[in-house]
Order: sequence, then C-alpha cells, then structure tokens
Amino acid sequence: MKISEALKIIQGAPEEGNPFPIAVACGFTPLHLETFLCAHLQLALPGRKVTSLTGLYGDLANTIEGFAGQQIRNLVVAIEWGDLDPRLSCRASARWNQNTISDVLNSVRSALARLGKSFGLFPAGAKVVVSMPTLPLPPFFHTPSWQISEPESCLDQMVSDFRTQLLRSGLLVANPACLIEKFAPEERYSFKSDLLLGLPYSVTFSDALASVLARLLCPVSPKKGIITDLDDTLWSGLVGEVGAEGISWDVPNHSGLHGLYQSLLASLSSSGILVGVASKNDSEIVNKAFERSDILLQKEYVFPIETHWGPKSQSVSRILRAWNVGADSVIFVDDNPMELAEVAAAHPGVECVQFVQNDYPAGYAMLGRIRDLCGKQKLSSEDYIRLESIRQSASLDRTGDDSTPEQFLQQANAVVRFDNHNAAADSRALELVNKTNQFNLNGIRYTESDWSAELSRLDTQSLLVSYSDRFGLLGKIAVMMGRMDGNTFHVRVWVMSCRAFSRRIEYLCLKTCFERYRIDQIKMDFVATPKNGPFQEFLTHVLGGKPEGPTVITRERFENVCPELYHAVHDGENRAPLPAMTRA
Amino acid sequence: MDEIENRLTKCFEMVFPALPPTAIPSSSQATVNTWDSVATITLVNVIEDEFGFELDLDLLPELDSFNRILTYIRTQVSETSL
Repeated sequence: MKISEALKIIQGAPEEGNPFPIAVACGFTPLHLETFLCAHLQLALPGRKVTSLTGLYGDLANTIEGFAGQQIRNLVVAIEWGDLDPRLSCRASARWNQNTISDVLNSVRSALARLGKSFGLFPAGAKVVVSMPTLPLPPFFHTPSWQISEPESCLDQMVSDFRTQLLRSGLLVANPACLIEKFAPEERYSFKSDLLLGLPYSVTFSDALASVLARLLCPVSPKKGIITDLDDTLWSGLVGEVGAEGISWDVPNHSGLHGLYQSLLASLSSSGILVGVASKNDSEIVNKAFERSDILLQKEYVFPIETHWGPKSQSVSRILRAWNVGADSVIFVDDNPMELAEVAAAHPGVECVQFVQNDYPAGYAMLGRIRDLCGKQKLSSEDYIRLESIRQSASLDRTGDDSTPEQFLQQANAVVRFDNHNAAADSRALELVNKTNQFNLNGIRYTESDWSAELSRLDTQSLLVSYSDRFGLLGKIAVMMGRMDGNTFHVRVWVMSCRAFSRRIEYLCLKTCFERYRIDQIKMDFVATPKNGPFQEFLTHVLGGKPEGPTVITRERFENVCPELYHAVHDGENRAPLPAMTRA
Repeated sequence: MDEIENRLTKCFEMVFPALPPTAIPSSSQATVNTWDSVATITLVNVIEDEFGFELDLDLLPELDSFNRILTYIRTQVSETSL
C-alpha cells in the first residue's frame, strides 16, 4: 500500500460510522506507521470509523502509562531499541566504550521491567498488540558484523524473555520472523529518514508492520476445516496402483513435502481445525494406508473420510454437512487443477489450494499459506474436543434412527451448565459470537474491545452455556447477552453452535432467562440474515409466525409452546445441580 | 494549469482535505494551520507516489509552499525525461 492509497482509505471512512478508537505508542515519529495502521484497520472494519491517538515523541513508557489512565481499549505498541536505551538508537549522539555496554544492558533490563509494569495497568478487556525491535542495532560492538558479540546476544535474550512474558500475560505479539524474513535490514531501516526526520522505518516496512499489527488487533476468522485429497497430496504416489507400502512421504524418497504436509494437518487437527478426506479411491486400500505405523497424520485425527469414484464436490458437500459449517469456512487441497476447479464451481466459497509437488519454493509457501488461513490467536478447551463431538454427533444421528426423538432426548442424560456474567468474558464466548452463522440472532460481530465494553455495562446480563450428554462433551456451545430493562430482558446477542442443534437447548435458554431474571417478556433484536435460517425457524415456532424484525416473547406465550425439557441444569452461580426442568 | 500543477494540486487535496481547492496554489506553511513538519513528510511521500521520484530530504526546509514545490518538481520531471 502507498501513502496516498492509505490516505484515500482513511478519508473514505463513513462519517456516521461507529468510532473504532486506537492508541499508537512508539518512541519515534509514528506518522507512517499510524497512517498505514488506520488504513489497514479501516479496510478490516469498513462500517466503522477508525480514529487514532498518539503519545509523546521519545517517551514510550510514559505514553503507555498515560494511555492506561485514559481507558484505552485498543493499544498498539511498536518498541525499538532506542526505547530501551537511547544509546541503541542512531539518533543519539552518545559516547561509547566498553564500560558503556554493561550500563546499557542494565538500562535495557530496567526499561523492560518498567514496560512490563505499564502493560499491567491495562484492564483485562483491553486489547494490546506489540511489536518488539525489528531494526538493526548500531554498529558499536567489538565483533565484525558477521559474528555476534556477547552483549548483542544478551540484548536478544532479554527481548526474547520479555516477549515470552508478554505472551503469558495474554498480550499479542507480532512474529519477528514474519517481518525479518521478508525484509533485509536495509529494506526495514531508512537511515537517512531516521536521522533527518525521526522516522526509522522505510515506507514499505511501515506498511508491512502496520498490516501485521492491524491483523493482530482485528484478526480474520480462521478457517474451520481442511478437506484434503490423498494421492500425490497427503502422500506421494497412487495408492490404488502401488499399494499401501508403495506410497511415501519421507526425505529419502524425495517426498518429504508430503510428510511435512501430514505433520501440518496433524498439528492443525490437534488445535481444533477439522480435517477430512475427499479421494477417488477404494476405501479398503485407503484404510490400509492409514494403518501404516509411520503415517504422520493418523486416522483418529481425520473425519470424515470420503472415498468413492464420484465427483469430489459431492464429497465436499457431505463433509460440510457432517461438520455443519459453511463452504467459506473450509480449505480444499488437491494436486489436480481439474478437481480444484470442479469443487470451486460447485462450492464457490471454498478456498481451493493446489498441492504443488515438484516446486519446492511453491510447496513451502503453500504450507505457510495453510498455516495463515487456519491460524488462531488463542486456543480454547473446545478446540480439543471439537472433532470428537462431531464424531459423537454423527453417531447420535445414527442412534436416533431407532428411537423417537422424545425417547432419545429423555434418555440422553443431558447436563447443561449456565455460567454467569463474568464467564461471558471467556474468549470462547466471543469466538462463538463471531463464528456462528446459523443459530445467530442477528449476525452482528464484535471486536474484543466492543465486547468488553458491552459486558462492562451495569445493566448487561449474559450467559455462557455448556452442554454434555451420554454421547460426549460438547463444551461451551451458546452465548446470550442482553440488557435488563425493568420487566424485560432485551437480548442483543444469542448464538448457539450448530453441534448443539436438536437438543432443545434454545428452549432451555429462554426458560432460564424467564426464571433467573424473573421477567415477563424477552425482547429480541432479531435480524434475518442469509445464513440464520435455523434461528428464524426456531423463532417462527415460538412466535407462531415468521419474525420480521425485533420481536417480543411473553412468558405466557413461551410456556404454551415450550416442549418437554429433560436436561439436568447446573447453575454456575450456585455451583449446585438443580432438578431437571419440565413443563408445568 | 498544466498537468504537473494539476497533479500537484491533487496531492495537496489529499494531504489537506479541509483546504479549499482555490486556496491551494497560494498555500504555504505560513498560511495553512495544518501544514506542520509532520504534514510536510506526508506531502512528500504523496508527491513521491504521484510523480515516481524520490524527493531529496535535505531540501525539505525549502519546500515550504505550493509554488516552491511546483518549481522543484518541474526540475525533477524535466531531468528524468531527458
């Protein structure tokens, strides 16, 4: 992005847009970094108006401490060496000798300790993103530049330790490798601009760093699943022709890329990304391949495995249904461009990625791209149980065939836990709000700072709902949030994971609201979206007619339409199980 | 107004959106409140994007009015086109 483009984007922000204020803290002139940051954020939040505050030049710690006192909810901090000790900046005219070095190291240690305390002044709901030094150190060390000196190594270690401390405190930190890999020192640092203007970053690097920081502040939703081909993708070779022992994924067989790909998928699966297979193959030979003891992506991490000779788009359709996700939440990986085109035509939202076998740079870039598409800022306990709960839901569908729905629910031994207001500050709650489409009251998304601001209102009430039954643990699956207004609970957010459908949890949520808040009506900020059909159906049943917009459910109406509920309810506030709720 | 002056005017409009277009040709750091050292840097970058050459940062103190910038750009553009 060029400066002129960034200015156009900023000037094109909607005047009436809901403000999205950020604070930018750095010790140098923030000009370009601030401009590009606002532009990238404006692109990420087109309906909002991004505004920015900056602090005092040359005084990073005081700037951060000042922002802490101003209830700032979105803070971006770019730390450079000069912020830790002015003698590490080319702008400082400092005497330098061997005695200076130990003083500099002590000074850096103190500066980092002070910065650590400054970050601690921000409340839990504030989002703080940080970049650590990216610029080269000045050339004052005794070794030639190709040999690292002990003081330089100590400085690296102190910064690395501080970065880890920030991560453990819940702050988000830019990955230095991402920036340093792509830009040589002379491309990052503008020596002339630093000395003449106090702007150390080149314009290009300012843009790159701003883009990274903007993505930390307003992340793109990661993909939920990867559907992969097998032959010449998950492994090298055609398993149907060479047999399970003839395929390979290792370096000696020049197929190491496939092994890396398997390891990547296994890693993503363990962090909650769903992995499925769509392959034109015989299921028996595929099973034999997965039974190999040296396979790196074991079968237990993959579900479902679609093996047949029909179009892959049909496999993708079935996998999307099994996962209950939209096409735009999924990546499809195949080595064959025709298969990719066929799936793309049938499912335009799917991100199609070609597995490139014999082009090493492209293959490495492909692995990085998959990481970036699926990467999550934080993991939650739901990530570790997602695959298993989907498998359980699939067996649930089969089990239900032999019994009536009523019998099935009666015998499910369902336990629902409602956690109180503070629990909705759980990152899983916001993840549900921003990723759920089908059972979603109005499709409105929240940034972390908006969510935190909403929860901190005195009239806000919220519930975080967890579910388990004899088929397995689903974890946290629903969030309700709204404002109390006399005898009415005005619901502004209501989402429920599609894994929890068909268990009447939505009715239990309403019943809990009526009971817990002792109200006579619930007002819903309903908005029909292209994807919230299931929510519309539910509301149609409760209201006795199709909802057109914001609507009210009276207690009397609800009690007339609520079906039998068999859940055992565990109230998080009381920390004691309550009797199963049934209709009076 | 020739093409270079027209393009420079658009650069000024981008950096000083509140400045009336008619005031741009006679504008200077002395007459425009928002034209400070920070705005100068932004203006320089926008001009570099527009005209495709790098301004000499050492000359920044002298480039304090529309007319002076225009004169400078004309020398740079005629040099690069030779």
